[in-house]
Amino acid sequence: MSEFLDVLGSTALYATAIRLALPILFAALGEVFAERAGLVNVGLEGMMLMGAFAGVIGAHYTGNPWLGALIGMAAAVVIAAIQAGVSINLSGDQIVVGIALNLAVLGVTSFLARAIWEGGDVPKVDGFSAFSMPLLSGIPGLGPILFKQSALIYVAIAAAVLSWWVLTRTSWGLRLRACGEDPRSADSLGIPVFAYRWKAMIICGALAGLGGVFLSLGQLFTFSDNMSGGRGFIALAVVIIARWSPLRALGAAFLFGAFEAFALRVQVTDIDVPAELMLALPYVVTLLVYAGVVGRSRPPKSLGREYSRG
Amino acid sequence: MRRALTGRGDTVMLIVRTAAALVGAALVGAIFLLSDGVDLIFAFEEILNQSVGSSFAIKNSLIDAVPITLVGLGVAVAFRAGIFNLGGEGQIYMGALAAVLVVLNLSGLPGPLLILLGLAAGMVGGGLWGGIAGGLRSRLGLSEIITTIMLNFIAFWIVSYLVRGPIQDPGGAGYPYTEEIPAKAELPVIGGMIPFGAILLIVAAAVVWVLLERTRMGISIKSLGAGEAAGRFAGLKVERTGFNVLLIAGLLGGLAGAASLLGNEGRLSDFFSPGWGFIGVMTALIGRGTAVGTLVAGLMIGFLTSGISGAQSAAGIPTATAQILLGVFVLFLIIVNTDIVVRHLRRAAFSLRRAER
Repeated sequence: MSEFLDVLGSTALYATAIRLALPILFAALGEVFAERAGLVNVGLEGMMLMGAFAGVIGAHYTGNPWLGALIGMAAAVVIAAIQAGVSINLSGDQIVVGIALNLAVLGVTSFLARAIWEGGDVPKVDGFSAFSMPLLSGIPGLGPILFKQSALIYVAIAAAVLSWWVLTRTSWGLRLRACGEDPRSADSLGIPVFAYRWKAMIICGALAGLGGVFLSLGQLFTFSDNMSGGRGFIALAVVIIARWSPLRALGAAFLFGAFEAFALRVQVTDIDVPAELMLALPYVVTLLVYAGVVGRSRPPKSLGREYSRG
Repeated sequence: MRRALTGRGDTVMLIVRTAAALVGAALVGAIFLLSDGVDLIFAFEEILNQSVGSSFAIKNSLIDAVPITLVGLGVAVAFRAGIFNLGGEGQIYMGALAAVLVVLNLSGLPGPLLILLGLAAGMVGGGLWGGIAGGLRSRLGLSEIITTIMLNFIAFWIVSYLVRGPIQDPGGAGYPYTEEIPAKAELPVIGGMIPFGAILLIVAAAVVWVLLERTRMGISIKSLGAGEAAGRFAGLKVERTGFNVLLIAGLLGGLAGAASLLGNEGRLSDFFSPGWGFIGVMTALIGRGTAVGTLVAGLMIGFLTSGISGAQSAAGIPTATAQILLGVFVLFLIIVNTDIVVRHLRRAAFSLRRAER
């Protein structure tokens, strides 16, 4: 028991938690934009996977993780554009399209990894390593948790705050939300619903792609098949748990990062818990927390409904 | 009203569309094959040969069709109610787990009884997993899209833990799998060509058809699919129906796991399913959520998968390219069916909106 407490008390746990929370946070922020505009984007998982893959490709060929990140985001945006085109303009079923895209991305990334590298053995690349902020990282307790991280965590926090501000404090955000609540009324007021939904989906793709980039370039420094491992779906749950708020998503994503970190850290102690069962923990927690909060969250009114002007 | 998923498509158009998808996939596939330096004509010939060229090839194709079609039928039932069962993968693993436990522990029983119990156990295991998602949906209102995916991972890690620990084959040199099932528990192959699983498939499709088209529950399922508000107004027990379809999907997913275990795999491992749960989703989509459509789509994909994987070594097709070929085909099938999805959903959206006013 005391060993469990040791794990819970270690700063390394929380530092790891933040690192593991980042991909989910980025994806969840993207999904908040999409869902606030009325689009359920089940293709989140595929967008993350594409981001993770293209990020590694980019970092490998340019030698620069930041350029890799841009390339990863761009590739995920392409997937987002397909999702947007079929679900917004063609009124295809949003969920069906998302499911199809997830499968397609899984196939395409696995194939390309093998096409480029023998046996799909993707080499290590330069990624976003942790660096110590001068002075701040010396703060006892908090320092190693918050200020010995890769630069992307500051981008993530900034993105959460910025998303909150854009969605709730600007007229652009107000109109975007109108498209998710009542697109017909929004349309009658002259708001271009399709354009707003497109923009929301593109933002979603870029953020989900960045989340995927962090999975590959911020954690493993390489790519492996299906490395997103359901995190896109965890992010979907995080959005509901966070009640479609970017700031609450920050907290919810950290919670999941913490459980994943806990599962990992327990394995390096003497505590005798099967590794496989610990790896199931984040998914169990997702179910439990989701079950605990769902009654209290209200989705955008027209979420998941296609809109046509006719 | 998800007419797109319920429509009785014109048979001629179904064939035309499928042919178009095949041609499209062959063209795109050709690019991948050429980039691998594969002899195209030989590769396509070999794929055809390995899919229907001999009774051995037909047997293998049918074996490939079994799990995806069974899962697909479960997905189809849920589709008709407007519910997405993405949990096929977890249901397969839980079904196979239950089946392997029963078969290994009761190996003293006579073969036919053992098979029957194994298949039944599979349905219980899968049904439990589908039922959990159903319960979470109907009691608490959790989206099955998220819960079924989470349950997939949980089932996978449970199986992974068990096959590396408590039920690992002691003589398996540390590989993550169970002992092999006794020979008498293996599903028979009739006439060297028709695996027992294929008969199971026809029966399951028939049962699903009767359920959807000839029973009261079928009416409830389809009314729920036509719109929750309308269903509630008509006195439909929406929650109950939502639970039922996920339970039924779980039963079929579990059966898929058990049938593959007893019919082909012989033992449970944590690489048991190569994504059958998700291919099943595609199968149901292509089959438009009907029993017959799903059966036809499942057989089609089964024959194609088997043909491609059989041709791999002879024609020198890399595994990843083989995966891509199938993926491209499914993608094309979806593309050629998009217009129907679009047209029907538009009309559906209107009738719904009017109904709500």
